Amino acid sequence: MAIATRTQTRLAVALSALGSFVILVPVALMFVTAFKPDAEIIRFESLLPRVWTLDNFRDIFGNSQEIPIFRWLANSLFISMSVTALVLAVDSLAAYALARLDLPYGRHVFLVIVATLMVPGQVFLVPVYLMLNALGWLDTPLALIVPPIAGVFGVFLLRQFFLTIPRELEEAAAIDGCSRLRVFWEIILPLARPALCTLGIFVFIGSWNDFLGPLVFLDSVDNYTLPVGIALFQTSYYAEYGITIAASVICTLPVLIVFLLFQKHIIKGVMLSGLKE
Amino acid sequence: MGLGGVGANVSARPPQNNNHAAAPRADGWRSIDAITGKAWFWFALVVILCAAPYAAYQAVQLSGGGNVTIRYWNGFTGPDGRTMLRLVRRFERENPGISVVMQRIDWATYYNKLFVAGIGDRAPDLFVLHADMTPRFQQAGFMKTMDHMFSPEWGMSLADFDDNVTRYQKVGGCYYGIPLDIHMFGLYYNKKLFREAGIVDKRGEARPPQTSGEFLDAARRLTKPPRWGFVFTWMRNVAYTMMLQWGGAFFENDGAKCVMNNPENVTAMSFCRDLIAKYKVAPSPENFDAWIGFRQGKVGMVLEGVWMLADLKKQTDLEYGGAPVPQFGPRQADFTSAHVLCMRKGLDGRKLDAVSRLVKFLSDNSLDWAEGGQVPARRSLRETPRFRAMEPQWQFSRQIPYVSFHPFTPMFGEYTSELDYMAERVLRGTATPEEALKTAQDKINEALERRRQMLERGGKL
Amino acid sequence: MPTSKTLYRWSGYLFMLPYLLAFAAFLVAPLLFGIGLSFYRWEMLSPVPPQWHGLGNYSEALTDTYFWKAVWATLRFVIMQVPLNIGLALLIALAVNEIPRGAQAFFRASFFFPTIVSISVAGILWRWFYSSEFGLFNAFLSPFGWKAPWITDPAWAMKSIVMMTLWWTVGGAFVILLAGLHQIPAHYYEAAAIDGANVFQRFINVTIPSLRPVLLFVVVMNIIGSFQVFGQTFMITRGGPEHSTRSLVQYIYDQAFGNYRMGYGAAMSWLLFVIIAVISFAQFRIMREER
Repeated sequence: MAIATRTQTRLAVALSALGSFVILVPVALMFVTAFKPDAEIIRFESLLPRVWTLDNFRDIFGNSQEIPIFRWLANSLFISMSVTALVLAVDSLAAYALARLDLPYGRHVFLVIVATLMVPGQVFLVPVYLMLNALGWLDTPLALIVPPIAGVFGVFLLRQFFLTIPRELEEAAAIDGCSRLRVFWEIILPLARPALCTLGIFVFIGSWNDFLGPLVFLDSVDNYTLPVGIALFQTSYYAEYGITIAASVICTLPVLIVFLLFQKHIIKGVMLSGLKE
Repeated sequence: MGLGGVGANVSARPPQNNNHAAAPRADGWRSIDAITGKAWFWFALVVILCAAPYAAYQAVQLSGGGNVTIRYWNGFTGPDGRTMLRLVRRFERENPGISVVMQRIDWATYYNKLFVAGIGDRAPDLFVLHADMTPRFQQAGFMKTMDHMFSPEWGMSLADFDDNVTRYQKVGGCYYGIPLDIHMFGLYYNKKLFREAGIVDKRGEARPPQTSGEFLDAARRLTKPPRWGFVFTWMRNVAYTMMLQWGGAFFENDGAKCVMNNPENVTAMSFCRDLIAKYKVAPSPENFDAWIGFRQGKVGMVLEGVWMLADLKKQTDLEYGGAPVPQFGPRQADFTSAHVLCMRKGLDGRKLDAVSRLVKFLSDNSLDWAEGGQVPARRSLRETPRFRAMEPQWQFSRQIPYVSFHPFTPMFGEYTSELDYMAERVLRGTATPEEALKTAQDKINEALERRRQMLERGGKL
Repeated sequence: MPTSKTLYRWSGYLFMLPYLLAFAAFLVAPLLFGIGLSFYRWEMLSPVPPQWHGLGNYSEALTDTYFWKAVWATLRFVIMQVPLNIGLALLIALAVNEIPRGAQAFFRASFFFPTIVSISVAGILWRWFYSSEFGLFNAFLSPFGWKAPWITDPAWAMKSIVMMTLWWTVGGAFVILLAGLHQIPAHYYEAAAIDGANVFQRFINVTIPSLRPVLLFVVVMNIIGSFQVFGQTFMITRGGPEHSTRSLVQYIYDQAFGNYRMGYGAAMSWLLFVIIAVISFAQFRIMREER
């Protein structure tokens, strides 16, 4: 800001630096503590490990039967990616129809869809559970892949974006004799790539971190996603903190890498759409 | 905020606010565009790569070749899970042609999952129950009797088990479970702290208390804040042990009516509270954290389950001992539970044979299981020198003649959560024992009444 | 001609078909099913089929002391969490906004990072920090002879949950507010400065009014999210001690999936919805009228 004095700027930098330090320290501690032996975690004496050890990681990776962390990772990836792909495909078609196709009662349909944004997710929990039980989808990835397709947010976001694309482009194509599907595929989708990308990132992170869904819908340890699998270490008794924290590191690492690679785009997405609290 | 959850988690996201998003849009969208070039290709590739192992895994699960595959569920998520897994692997080596897929789910959600799996016809072939859960699961109708295990063909003997353990397994004249272990509460004590406080026998060894008086004396001498003579860890079961010792009742008419608000239970709970408020030998309760205090050597005595031995073994610098729970009340009593092996209804042929073989194997080798911190259910195994050498386990097992399970009630969920809440309130002094026991009793009776009404209307009463 | 034109217009719904099918199956159907369910006594653990119960589940909730305790716990969370979260986010946004744009990226990224950490990891981490015997916070306090009962005392537990939530979610509101600040044209401030307004006056007279729509959005979203708090309490305290952190969603979870009381769980979900709807509606009205 042009008006800010030098002292103000210095103050701001100091404040921000302090804030980000406080925010990042917990994560840093997690990474460091993963290399502490269990007995040392229990008797906390210093921030850094006195004895650096890989035992916690060895316990996790050495017991793939007991701690199938790679399966959880694969499950998480498979589910999150499938959800993302399906949501993008289904929502972009629907949003295009709502934005451009001059549907009879299109406005009403859109209003009904948007109105459900008001209903909190918990309302769906019990009925969806019973429906999935009836379908025999409980404890399968389908239980986590299919229901999110009905999500309203993607349709809403993409429709708003499609409305900003100039109509002339499509009209020219239509005159050339393109079908609506071809117009959608060849003109609209390439233009909408950035919007699809933002939506994709949100859907992916939302699905990756979903906790209540897998907790309720999955039974078998082998079918768990990473967040629920990790929560398994919080047993009713026993303090296996070494293993627990090491597993948390393993769970966070992929997210951290994705975040570092795409952080600019992720944050731009949030800033632009103002959609993530 | 990540609070959305459930199918609709995406839908819970808020609408876009165009007012403030309009200006910087063009620039922002374009920069995102730069990364998306080949993204779709990679994306599809990863989906396929992740789906392939899943499909392969399912295929293997379904076919299993000429082998018999046993699905075996239990709640052993901690170190005892590792012990169990080693046993299962040994069984597989000794029985080629049988493979076991073992599934561990934390006890906190295990029963929900098992129950739903049973209702949905996805029950595992073999599963572990706590002894007092057998009647409920038997009622739900997806368990098979295990009487055949006592036939000459399989050669197990009913007389080898204690009556107070097998009693719960008997429904309508049939046995529905084979007990694997008995895991009771006991007294853990820190030998080093005992010696320092001079609580020793003639040979100078730490001497665990046996009576209420000895316990209070020891606790007083051990308490030197921040060091404590005693801590409450699993409040519900410490409270339950005390109430058993004072002889308080819990239910009437086969669990149809809760009567836990009685003078005996009030006295027992008052005694628990006194340890904190009057004798000041224990801190305000902190659940599991207090157990960590024992591991750190800051606590003299604690009442916990035999299974916690597995956790203590990791604390190599701690000198601890195990002993029977002292007699606090007018009679000796102790809380216990037992892990019981159960079979799914409808097992037959080769699969039944394979599962029975695994049950027999686990039972025959339950000393290996006990080593991790359990007491074998079979008397003959408890009389071996090998078990005598497992000092804490053996000490704990001396209590078997007077151990008790939780009472039977169809409202087990409500019963346990009310017991938790009651113990918490009394120990923290938020409520008097009378108030807390009354709340618990009222709430449990409400639930029982609800069930009665439902059964009546459903014509099942 | 007109018929084929109408047909053509209707055929546009083919584009929507996949979505509408999913929408009907997993949003509309559960919604209607959920309403219906809330009028039934459906207990999966009992051997009898579901029974019509009228408004029984609703009246049970309204007389259930635990329900009200959960409502109160949730309200306490919202009342503490929302102002702190928004205030803190605004403070950080104002500070970061003073920094040259190029250097802002680092701070944006670091403040935002916790929001993408999974709740189970965040929960494990903070339960360890809060542990009274070997927790990090008490280890820092111990040289001063202090020991705080972070999550073992009913008076402390919810505050600790709020503190953890601030760490976890403040980045989201911060990033949006920062975007809002970026959009306030610099000449507004210049004009105010020429009028002799000091920093504080500029904040009150320029920043807040210009930021109002963004602020409204962030506050409403935060309130809605806070009413649905579950992951933190489930991972860190399981609702204890003495139910002091058992939020409404957790109570619904406990009843529906702990005791398998499906009808009762559905009815309480709808009561939660009513609470959220009333509050967000009031919020919008108040903020609109102020304008």
